[in-house]
Amino acid sequence: MISGNPYMPMPATVTDVIDETPTIKTLILEPQEPMPFKAGQFIQLTLPGVGEAPFTPSSSPRQPERIAITILRTGCVTERFHECKPGQTLGLRGPFGKGYPIDELGGKDVLVVGGGVGLAPLRALILALLDDMGSVKRMSIKYGARCMEELLYRNQHDGWAAHKKVDFMCTIDNPQPEWDGHTGVVTTLLKDLDVNKAKTHAFICGPSVMLKFATFTLIDEGLAPEQICLSMNRRMSCGMGKCGRCNIGPHYLCKDGPDINYATIKDYPNVF
Amino acid sequence: MTYYVTQEAAKGFVLQCRQRHHLVSLASREVAWDEIEADACVSAFFKPRAAQSAKGFLMPASESLGHYGDRAESQDRDQKSVVLMGVRACELRARAYLDCVFQQGEFQDPLYDQRRESLLIVSCDCVECADSCFCPLVGGGPFAADGFDLNVSPVDGGFVIETGSDRGAELLKACMADSLTEASGEQLSRRDQQRRQMVERLQSQNGDFSFAATDQQATSLPKDNNEDWQRFAADCVECGACTNICPTCHCFYLYDQLLGADRFERVRTWDSCLLSSYHRMAGGPKMKLTPRPKLLGRLANRVLHKFTYSPQQYEMTGCVGCGRCVDACLGEIDIRQVVQELNG
Repeated sequence: MISGNPYMPMPATVTDVIDETPTIKTLILEPQEPMPFKAGQFIQLTLPGVGEAPFTPSSSPRQPERIAITILRTGCVTERFHECKPGQTLGLRGPFGKGYPIDELGGKDVLVVGGGVGLAPLRALILALLDDMGSVKRMSIKYGARCMEELLYRNQHDGWAAHKKVDFMCTIDNPQPEWDGHTGVVTTLLKDLDVNKAKTHAFICGPSVMLKFATFTLIDEGLAPEQICLSMNRRMSCGMGKCGRCNIGPHYLCKDGPDINYATIKDYPNVF
Repeated sequence: MTYYVTQEAAKGFVLQCRQRHHLVSLASREVAWDEIEADACVSAFFKPRAAQSAKGFLMPASESLGHYGDRAESQDRDQKSVVLMGVRACELRARAYLDCVFQQGEFQDPLYDQRRESLLIVSCDCVECADSCFCPLVGGGPFAADGFDLNVSPVDGGFVIETGSDRGAELLKACMADSLTEASGEQLSRRDQQRRQMVERLQSQNGDFSFAATDQQATSLPKDNNEDWQRFAADCVECGACTNICPTCHCFYLYDQLLGADRFERVRTWDSCLLSSYHRMAGGPKMKLTPRPKLLGRLANRVLHKFTYSPQQYEMTGCVGCGRCVDACLGEIDIRQVVQELNG
């Protein structure tokens, strides 16, 4: 049981602002006290006097004293987060949710599928596994963005791919003159997968439409719903399963997710 | 322990109570909860449940959760205990439901805990009911077996008073030690007979409805994208009256406001799952910004939460059968009718 007032934010100082793409920035935050979290758990980030929004840290859980939050500019609160400068004080609440089931990945192939800024929460998983693969057989990362300029963490892709147990593929939606890699949406990278399908666990994060088609593609490829974990960061206010708004059936995505097994939710409408 | 007191003695109890505690009672059907005079307070025991439930005393419509920023000081809260008089069995069930929401799980809700602890509950048997009352259809009844500090049953022009907790016994002793006599076996059997009659009356006024919702079993209803819901959604004007008046609806929203240059306040306010803004996310024009864009989906989600999801989440129905939403609905949607027609 966690005591104290879970609705009030802990002050956190912005120590760095990284321009990732024309629409995405990463804020590096130093909370007043380290905030231990598991990869996949999320925090509520407060812009004082403006409001809160939920984000999953994109940094390694090994560094609870230095948390990276990667933010796509997409509405009025994120617009204001993009205006943040080093030295500014924000607020953090959390962590909330269950986090990725890393302990259950022993002996398995891990398939990471990201779309756009959806690579952000997955980076916490990627970094946690790069840190300690344990008995994970291999990690296959498939990533897609709209265009070259919007590819997130581009300078880190080679580093990830250098790990002997990791393979990395990325794609952009449409051809560009300077691009010699794959083109097409990320689901095109999921056909004829080179993984041990019976022993694969997939993690998908991206916009709703991408979650939908990536899930259906993986099922067509022979994965069972139980093998697919979706990051469903919907609108959340409290983060603790009390305020009510993030339910899929009887499951609250904040409490039972935000990374939730597709088998748990597949029979409810409005999943995607 | 059970005691018997006359109406006059009960009025004396109310007056004594008011000197010691902040006393709130249901006033009448027209007015909701209020601080009122002893006469009205006692006569309310003979009337149906109040128009509003006791929810607001556990979870106010809007409340400050705290301050942050520069010089953020902790706020002093009014710790004086509140005696709530005339709470009905359905509202005690609703409180048990809110306990599950706010007191179960990994995170405590200190504000809810404080409010709950500061309340002394004097419940009363229903000897009258509203036309919309339907507690027997959802596994409830017009009298409480537990959950109260004191329970009052109007019998033979006076009241049988049952103590349900040490705090209740102390309150009773402190406020009316002189006029307490133990209830006789005859008075208790009159009370029990009256209770049975009230159950029969509620069953008979709900004779058109055959469903029986229980805490253990999720009621089978169509999914929230099924067009059958449209029959009822067509009458919904999205006013949110049902969610505000409901004693178990607890959805809320957090927002921040400025107190000074660098001082802020976090506020919790009731929200309604029927409103289109409820789930709305940020995003571009081509994205699906809300999981339930249609009103029928939101209406369905509310009813499903009460009857299907809550038994799975908390082993309790989310509907206590108070019928307040039936009275409040501008579109005259009767939740009994909804469940009756769609379940199966």
